[in-house]
Amino acid sequence: MTNGDSVRGNTALTPLDYRPAKMRIESITDETSDIKTFRLTFCDQDQNEQFEFRAGQFGLYSVFGSGEATFCIASSPTRRDYIECSVKRVGRVTNDLHECNEGDIIGFRGPYGNWFPLDEMEGKNLLFVGGGIGLAPLRSLIWNCLDLRDKFADILILYGARTVADLVYKEELKTWRERDDVKTIYTVDPGGETPDWDGEVGLVPVVLEKENPSPENTIVIACGPPIMIKFALFSMRKLGFPFESVYTTLENRMKCGVGKCGRCNVGNRYVCKDGPVFRYSDLLLLPQEF
Amino acid sequence: MEAHFLTDSDLVSFLNWLEKRGDVYVTARDDDGNVGIKPYSETGDFAYPGVRAFQPLKPFFFSALEEVAEYPSTESPIKESKPFAIIGAAGCDLRAIEALDKVFLEGDFKDPFYEERRNKSLIIGIDCTEPLETCFCVLVGVKPYAEKGFDLGLVKIEGGYVVEVGSEKGKVVVGENKGLFKPATENHLSQRDGVRKKTTDMVEKQSKEFKPGGTWQSVMAKAYEDNAWSKNVETCVECGACLFICPTCQCFLLYDQKTKDKYKRLKMWDTCAYRSFARVAGGANPRDQLIERFKHRYYHKFDYFFKNYEFEACTGCGRCIVACPGEIDMRKVLKEICRS
Repeated sequence: MTNGDSVRGNTALTPLDYRPAKMRIESITDETSDIKTFRLTFCDQDQNEQFEFRAGQFGLYSVFGSGEATFCIASSPTRRDYIECSVKRVGRVTNDLHECNEGDIIGFRGPYGNWFPLDEMEGKNLLFVGGGIGLAPLRSLIWNCLDLRDKFADILILYGARTVADLVYKEELKTWRERDDVKTIYTVDPGGETPDWDGEVGLVPVVLEKENPSPENTIVIACGPPIMIKFALFSMRKLGFPFESVYTTLENRMKCGVGKCGRCNVGNRYVCKDGPVFRYSDLLLLPQEF
Repeated sequence: MEAHFLTDSDLVSFLNWLEKRGDVYVTARDDDGNVGIKPYSETGDFAYPGVRAFQPLKPFFFSALEEVAEYPSTESPIKESKPFAIIGAAGCDLRAIEALDKVFLEGDFKDPFYEERRNKSLIIGIDCTEPLETCFCVLVGVKPYAEKGFDLGLVKIEGGYVVEVGSEKGKVVVGENKGLFKPATENHLSQRDGVRKKTTDMVEKQSKEFKPGGTWQSVMAKAYEDNAWSKNVETCVECGACLFICPTCQCFLLYDQKTKDKYKRLKMWDTCAYRSFARVAGGANPRDQLIERFKHRYYHKFDYFFKNYEFEACTGCGRCIVACPGEIDMRKVLKEICRS
């Protein structure tokens, strides 16, 4: 629904296979006390070689017998040896995933959904606004853009979490900060800082307004908790960003992942097939059920 | 449209031929006068009911519960199904199949389980002659007769049936029974038209008071904040009956089960009336309140679906009106919303 080819899903009419592909957990990283990142490879070597996706797409991950849960692919499509997903422990499947060990086999269906409009982003300044685990879909895109750095103008990453302990991808945050072709601003909510915290203290929208980035020739990609997105959008409006240049992702509940089970609709659109990436100005036309 | 004439006794011969070809299901009245769907092998006869069956046809294509995957496995989970024929699909039933086809067979992916059974089906439509008090098909662009979406369509006339051919599949089975199908005469066709006009007039008449001022979309565009919703939701007990019995409702859940040495994935009917339907594991729920879920059903059928496919996902069959223990009548709800 957003901008034609660049964010549309697959177009071939394929029979849906409800069977999960087998993937091996290569490594597990503890991001926070309740978020882990899993690095996965397909057990079938051919699938490893053939698997392609684009930043923004998601998969349905399953623990055998326990069920499926939806997460974005948090690694970059430019890194083809594996995929990664970051999982917060909140329910049955995520609990069971957290109990898994390196070497365990889990299930995967995907990639499904549309993707971020990389062609529209070319030549533009990019402003990434992330909150909490909302950095996961952004991370896929950030690495994608950094791996193709020449194609984009200035890149600014603004990322915040409630506390220092809640920041995800801590090593990568450092890597990005050390690069001279990216500007980074990291922040934690007031009271969430530690004595050695050298970032900002303040809510993401407040820090955004203080930074006052120019909306000129800029695409914003904002992912995070709905409440943060809501206030960040107020701030963006204040700063003069047109909502046509703001993208976000939705995470409604899904079962099938391909527009059949009827669960993830927002008005006449389905997050699984018309999203998860939405242009904000398009979302404003839909019932606010997300 | 290609039309033939079939005598009463030739219809029986035709049904017997169909039974050799695969399973045959017919609409039949029970002792209480309700119309149901039964295997022809049980009824041994077909009594033209003149109205839709109590149950929708969707379970023929979309099971209430089915296994869609066994894993880890490389074997295809799709079981080949036997050819089957359904005799007695009313206009509303045909529209419902059209709606299900849109969801399950279009888009980037098609559902192979639905497709397999859809391919094996022969749909024989009927014209309604005895619409129920709850019928309102004419309000949603559906005719009380088999207009389209069927393989063969039957209209009861004196001494037999006018049989219309609606698809290539229908043409083939007629071709294989050349001896039975006679040419339809002008007189047969004018009887058919008479039946159609009479029933259409009946449904038009009883639906008149519920007719919206504009399109359903224009009504819905203004209705979201209407007070009539809160009044009408009062007797809703969230049982989901209106949705399970709806011929177009196609929501399902998937759940996984461990068997001895394998895992199974099952697909099961689900409904948006249930509070947990869209709730995410973290607790957020886009439709936490009953009134939001209540409205969602109407919005999906009269607005969202129309935006995607250019027809309503309500067929006017009235099954939800009959099924509701809270006596919620969709027509009346819509009427009150139109009024204000």
